[in-house]
Parts: sequence; structure tokens; C-alpha cells
Amino acid sequence: MIRICLALVAFALLARLPVGFDVGFQFDAALAVIWGFGLLSLVLLTGYVGQVSLCQATFAGVGAYAAGMMFSTFHVDYGVAIAVGVLAAFTLGLVVGLPALRLYGITLAIVTLGIALVFDRYVFQDHIFEWFTGGSGGWRVEGATLFGLRMDSSRHLLAAYLVLLVLFCLVGLLMVNLHESGAGRRFRAIRDSELAAATVGVNLTRYKLLAFGLSAAIAGLGGSFYPLVAGSVSPQPFWVFTSLQFAAIVVLMGVRYVPAAALGGAFMSFVPDVLTRFGHGTLFNRYSYDISYDWFQIAVGVLLIVQLILLPDGVWGDLRGRVVNARSAMRGFASRRVKVA
Amino acid sequence: MTMLRVRDVSVRFGGIVALDGVSLDLNRGEILGLIGPNGAGKTTLFNCISGVITPERGSIFFDRRSLKFAPPHERARMGIARTFQNLQLWGSMTVQENLTVPMDALGGRNTFSDALHLPFSAYAERASSERARAILHALDLGRHAGTLAADLPAGVQRRVEIARALAMKPSLLLLDEPAAGLDGPETSHLGELLRAVRERFHVSMLLVDHDMSLVMRVCDYVYVLDFGKVLAKGRPAAIRDDPKVIAAYLGEESKEQPAKPQATRTIAARDEHPLLEVKNLAAGYGRLEVIRDVNLFVRPGEVVACIGANGAGKTTTLRAISGMIRPRQGRVTFGGQDITASSPERISRLGLAHIPEGRGLFPRLSVEDTLRLVSNTTGRQADIAEAYQHFPKLRERRRQAVGTLSGGEQQMVALARAILARPRLVMVDEMSQGLAPTVVHQLFEILRVFRDQGIAVLLVEQFVEAALDVADRAYVFGHGAIGHQGSAAEIRADRKLVSGSYLGTAVDAVGAPAANGNGHRIDHALMEVVSVKVPANLKRALEERAETEGRSAGAVVMDLLEEVKR
Repeated sequence: MIRICLALVAFALLARLPVGFDVGFQFDAALAVIWGFGLLSLVLLTGYVGQVSLCQATFAGVGAYAAGMMFSTFHVDYGVAIAVGVLAAFTLGLVVGLPALRLYGITLAIVTLGIALVFDRYVFQDHIFEWFTGGSGGWRVEGATLFGLRMDSSRHLLAAYLVLLVLFCLVGLLMVNLHESGAGRRFRAIRDSELAAATVGVNLTRYKLLAFGLSAAIAGLGGSFYPLVAGSVSPQPFWVFTSLQFAAIVVLMGVRYVPAAALGGAFMSFVPDVLTRFGHGTLFNRYSYDISYDWFQIAVGVLLIVQLILLPDGVWGDLRGRVVNARSAMRGFASRRVKVA
Repeated sequence: MTMLRVRDVSVRFGGIVALDGVSLDLNRGEILGLIGPNGAGKTTLFNCISGVITPERGSIFFDRRSLKFAPPHERARMGIARTFQNLQLWGSMTVQENLTVPMDALGGRNTFSDALHLPFSAYAERASSERARAILHALDLGRHAGTLAADLPAGVQRRVEIARALAMKPSLLLLDEPAAGLDGPETSHLGELLRAVRERFHVSMLLVDHDMSLVMRVCDYVYVLDFGKVLAKGRPAAIRDDPKVIAAYLGEESKEQPAKPQATRTIAARDEHPLLEVKNLAAGYGRLEVIRDVNLFVRPGEVVACIGANGAGKTTTLRAISGMIRPRQGRVTFGGQDITASSPERISRLGLAHIPEGRGLFPRLSVEDTLRLVSNTTGRQADIAEAYQHFPKLRERRRQAVGTLSGGEQQMVALARAILARPRLVMVDEMSQGLAPTVVHQLFEILRVFRDQGIAVLLVEQFVEAALDVADRAYVFGHGAIGHQGSAAEIRADRKLVSGSYLGTAVDAVGAPAANGNGHRIDHALMEVVSVKVPANLKRALEERAETEGRSAGAVVMDLLEEVKR
């Protein structure tokens, strides 16, 4: 009961937080959840099933493009567009999962990186597909409605943010459930020893494909909100480097934990913006400094090294471990006192 | 009734024939043993049956159905379960979760209903955790149910693997070296356990193990593989005395007597200070402690052989000496210097060369480059011509990449490389592995070259007879410790001791009392099972009766059943 109340309070706080800030920050908040979905997809794929993927941003991108096109071409309700986006990402996920049936580790990483590159350079940006994808400029998406409610990028940004937040909590909850359930155990069995999993009757083909499909669908769900939030579709947010950043940040935050995805999403969207906004000035009115977006990349790299040495289970994982330890220590302390008394 | 029929199965890896027309029958309710020296193809046959690899030729039938096109998970559903030699538990899950995975996998559960935690999933969840608990109790693992599998000691992990296999409700259980890494009493306990498991879970078993004491005690029938072929089959007692089998394990009994000067050398060497001295050495991998309390020494210019069954800890001892793994306990001194836990390169610079199992060569380098490399690593110009003098065959092959040479020639390269580094002691691990007997003979001749150069040799060898021919002294390993030691002649004379260390006669005597001691625990597990069906007061009465009559509870139950029948 206390837990549910705490969760509700936390949710209300998160939902109200961006109110009153300027549009830039509100956009960051919505983007944080979208990136959070991307990271969540990696928690499922890498954290649960142990498969490597460096093309999660591509899945998000496919979701965004499919949803955006659905809306711009057919002017359907945006809910339908989202469904189509998720479906498109799911399908691509199944296709990408096929090589994963035979490949492991570094080779799989390179194959998925190749897929990310192909989509970035030759699908989203290429001139040949410009009639289809709008080329490197993309196109604008305006006046979308979700279930009859206007969710426009400029004035109704917070509504979109709220929907995103609810969905994120829902998917996160499902994933926590999945972890403890039979299918989750089969996923984890594949992560720990594929050989043993196969010999106790786990259908590797089915579960690996399912993992890739589900993971892509989660990333695509986040991505399909992008046109709504940004008011346009363009290739830049879904380029190769975003995929790499997903991988780096999810490891940084703790690849096996759902809340780490939320943490990572916020980190990924707010920190660069804060840096570019407040990154110029002077220190003690003396030394002028200029911190740009590039510093974010460097910071991620350095933090990753520090984390791998100091917090091998990721920021969230380590935090959680400490809380659990402290709690059991307190419980032990309490029971000892009772015995003495 | 024949449950598993293997017919004419052949498997090749590249040029190596791992299995060559193997046929095998396993009857329902039988525990079938599969033994043979290293590289005989036992694990390969296992992998064929469980579907991890596909045989090139031949067929496998299970319950009259062909397994030709069944992927591993299909076979699991048909009722073939297996354990793994190198423990393959899911370390990040608890023991109980490890058991529920196979149950769910068989139950055809739905991922989406699982994620939503629908009533159906919740019910299935409860059912499988209930069954998991029952199996864990039966195997005396109840108190480990909530522990992460990775945190358990290896001996318990082995039992959890068996429990996990049983969770699939199998009719055939494939056990791949379940006794690896266990000591004497643990092994005999395992033997009891396997027999109890067969009775309780109605499974047949195919058992591969190097520990002959276990195989001889547990199995109803034994197949012996050698070089990928069935060498012999029969009842355990017959197999133990089969000269063919003994020869396959120990090599041919050699006729020639050791040369005289050797004996005098040994006597001369006896007064010298030991070059290598190992005291109370313990080492292992992860949670597995492989060797404990190993003491041995090598004098300068002496050839010492380490013999004993596979998994007895010979290789681990060499690795701990040369610094490839960190010893957990004990001291290693070499030439008066303490080298315990030093880095391997420092140890090799002191003049201790280690030729590991698999020879440790660089397959793409040519012979000449491999030998030249010695000058780089030792910092001293080594004369390659000298190596060619000892091994004329290598001169012809000097431009060839090492990887393309035959196994025997590769071993020559490894030996030549060791000689060029001018070590004071060479440790050779399984020099003859996978080589034909004639080649092995040549290689042992070469070891005499080492002796002539005044280089001491510590030898780990499967071909016991050949090893004892060249050796001055020998240590016999068993269960991670040294069982016997003595001069090569003494050890060789005690042929029963040697063949016992490989085929299990010697260990039997040690194992017997421990087996009795463990009998009680099995009964305890039986009572747990009984308690599921029988009211508590009845169970109590049973226990009391067993107590007063001084018999096992199982025997009392059998008596009662007889009475009921009458």
C-alpha cells in the first residue's frame, strides 16, 4: 500500500514537473521519455536476454517514420499511427533477430551496427528515397490528434508528455513482471547459458526472435511519439551515434534494471541541453569557459570508464544493491537488539 | 526394452575422426556407463544424442522415433535431459528458478500472459514452484532453494544440475562427468544418489565419467570407447579385467628394461638439493578446488612422472607451479627462490619451461620463426641449428606453418622450442595426447635428449607405461592429491596400484565406509517424499520403528509393503 502511494506521488511529481518551464525544457522532458523507451528496449534485449544490439535508434527511427507517414499521408488519428509505427519496428526487429540466431557478441554487435548505418545513410537520408522519406530535411507534422485530443508540438506538448509518461510506466511495469515470470526466466536462461537453455526445452529460435521483436517494438513505441513531440520527422535524432549512445548510457546506468532506463533517458536528454544553455560564461568573473554539446560525448565516455571500474552493475544497480544491503543490515541489527532485550 | 538405439554414428571435426561407426543400446531402467581415455569421443557422442551437434552418418532412435531432425529443445520435450561437464547452471538465478525454467518450457507458457501476470500464469507459476520444491527435497537441496546458483560450491552445483535435468520429467538422463571435481566421499555419495534417483524418478541414465570407482559401482553395463570406436562392452567387473581396456588406458606394457646408467644417475642425484619443491599446494578454478595438499619435488636432471586418472589434478598442479593460475595455499620454490604466485614470464625466465596441453604453439608462424622467437623472449641468441640437430625432421619442414604439421611434429616443435631456451626444468603436459602409439614412442626417445642435456623433466602423461620407462620417479595422483610415490621401477612393479588408480580398484576400499555414512541422508530424503503421501503420525511411527530396529526407514517400508501384500 505504502509502495503504491509512493509510486503515485512520484508519478504526480514527474507529471507536474515540466509545468511552468519554457518550451525547451518541456521538449526535453518529453524527449527524455522517448529516449527512455530506447534504453528500456536495451534493458530487455541486453539486460534480460543477453543479446547485443547497436541499432536501437534505428528501431525508434522506423517507428517515428512509419507513424509520421501514416499521419501525414492518411491523416488518421495519431493512435493508429502509433500502432503502425510499433508494428513496423516489431517487424524490423524480427528481421534483425534472424542473424542473431547464429551470431554472438562482437560479430552480432557489428552486424547490428551495419544495419544502423544502412538505415541512417541509405534509407533515412539518401536522395533516392527523398520522395519517400523527405531526405535529410525530413518533413513537418502538424495538427495531430490522439483519441480526439489535440496534441500539437507547440501548445499541447505537455499532454503528449503525460501520455508518454503513462505508457512508459506501464511498459516498465510489464517488464518488471516479465522478469519474474516464466518467459522472463527463459530469457534469463538464454543469457546465462544458451546451451543449457536449449537442452532443457527452451526454443532458442522463438525466444531470441521474440526478444528482438519486443525490444524493437518498445523502441519503436517511443520513436513513434517523436513526430508528435518535435512537430517534424528528420533523420538526425536517429542516426548511428544515438544507437551507440543508447548502448553506452544503458550500461552506465545499469543494463539489468528498468528504472535505470528512466534515469538514462533523463540524463541523455537534459544534460546536453543544460550544457549548451549554460555552458558559456566566466568562472569567478575571471576565466571564460565554453562548454558545448561535444562535452557531453566526452563526459559519457569518461563516466563509462569510471562506472565500469567503480560501479560494475551500473549507477542504478549499485545504488539498489547498497539500499538492499543497508536494509538487511538494519534488519539484522534490529533482530539482534530484540534478542539482547 | 531398448530405449535409446545408436547406430553407426560417425562425426568428423575437420580432419579428425571423433566418432567412427559407434553403435550402442540402452535399455529402459538401465544405468549405462560410457568410458574411455581422453579424446575417445565420449562427449561428442553425448552431444549427438542431445542434439547439440549433428552426426555425419548414422542414426539415433529414442523410443523408436528417429532423432535425425529434432532440434535440442524437441529432444528435451521427448524426455532426454542432460547435465554438463563444465557446469552450465544459470548463475544469476536462484536454484529454484533454475528448476522452474525447464518445467515452464515444457508447459508451453505464453509470454504475454506472463507479462500481464494473468491468473493462468499465476497458477502455473505456483504449480511449478511446488514441484521444484519436491525435487529439491528429494535431492537434499531444500535449504539451497533461494540461493543464487553461482554462489554454491561446485559439488552442490553438480547436484543442482541433476535436479534441473529431473525437473524436465525425463525418461533418459545423460550425465556428463558428474563426479568431476568431487573428492572420494563426495563421489561415493553421488553414486548412492544416482541409484536413488533412478528408483524414485524412473529414469534411465547414460553416464560418462573418468572416475572409474563411480562407473564400476553404479553402472549395470559399460561401453568403452577408444579413438572413436567401441573398444569393448560388458558388465563392469568384466570390463575392469579386460586387458584391451587396461591397455587403452595405460598404453602397452613395455618389455624392455630401463637402461642401467639411468639407475646410477638416480643414485648420484639423490644427494643433490631439489631444484623444484612444492609444499602443501592447493589450487582450483572459481569455486572448484581441484588440488589440495600436493607435495612433490624434482632434483636437477631428474625425470619425474605424474600419473593418475583424468581430473585427478595433474594439469592443475603444473599450472599452479608455472604461475598460470594462482595457488590458494602452499609454497613453490624453484632453484632456491620462492616463486609462489609469481608471474608466468618471470618464472619462465628463471628457467622453468611449461609445455601446456595442446602445446601452446602459434599455428600461423613457420617452424623457423617459432624457434627464432626464443631468442627474442630469452634475450639471448639461441642457435637454431642445435634444434635441427636434435630434430632432423624439423629442418625439412622449417618453412611450413606450424599449424599444418602433424600432431607429432608439432610436439617436436614445442620440445625444440623448450630446449633452445636452455631451461633447468621442463614441464610437459599430456605430450602424447591424440597421437598414434608409434609417434609417442619417438617422442619419449626425445625426452632422453633432455636428460642428456641435464635438463630436469616433470611429466604428466596418460601413457603410463611409456612414461614410467623414461622416468626416474613417479607420483600417482587421485582425487586432487598425491596417493602414492616412489621410484619408477617400484610404481611399475605395482601394476595393480597403477591400473587401480585409473580403473577404480584401489579407490573402492576407501569409498565403502563413506557410502554407508551417507546412506542415512538418502533415507532422510525418502522420508520427505513419503511425507507428501503419508499422514504425519504414520511417518513418525515409521521413523521410530526404523530407529528401534536399527534399520533404514526404506527397508521398513519395504517390509510393511510385503505385509500388506500378504
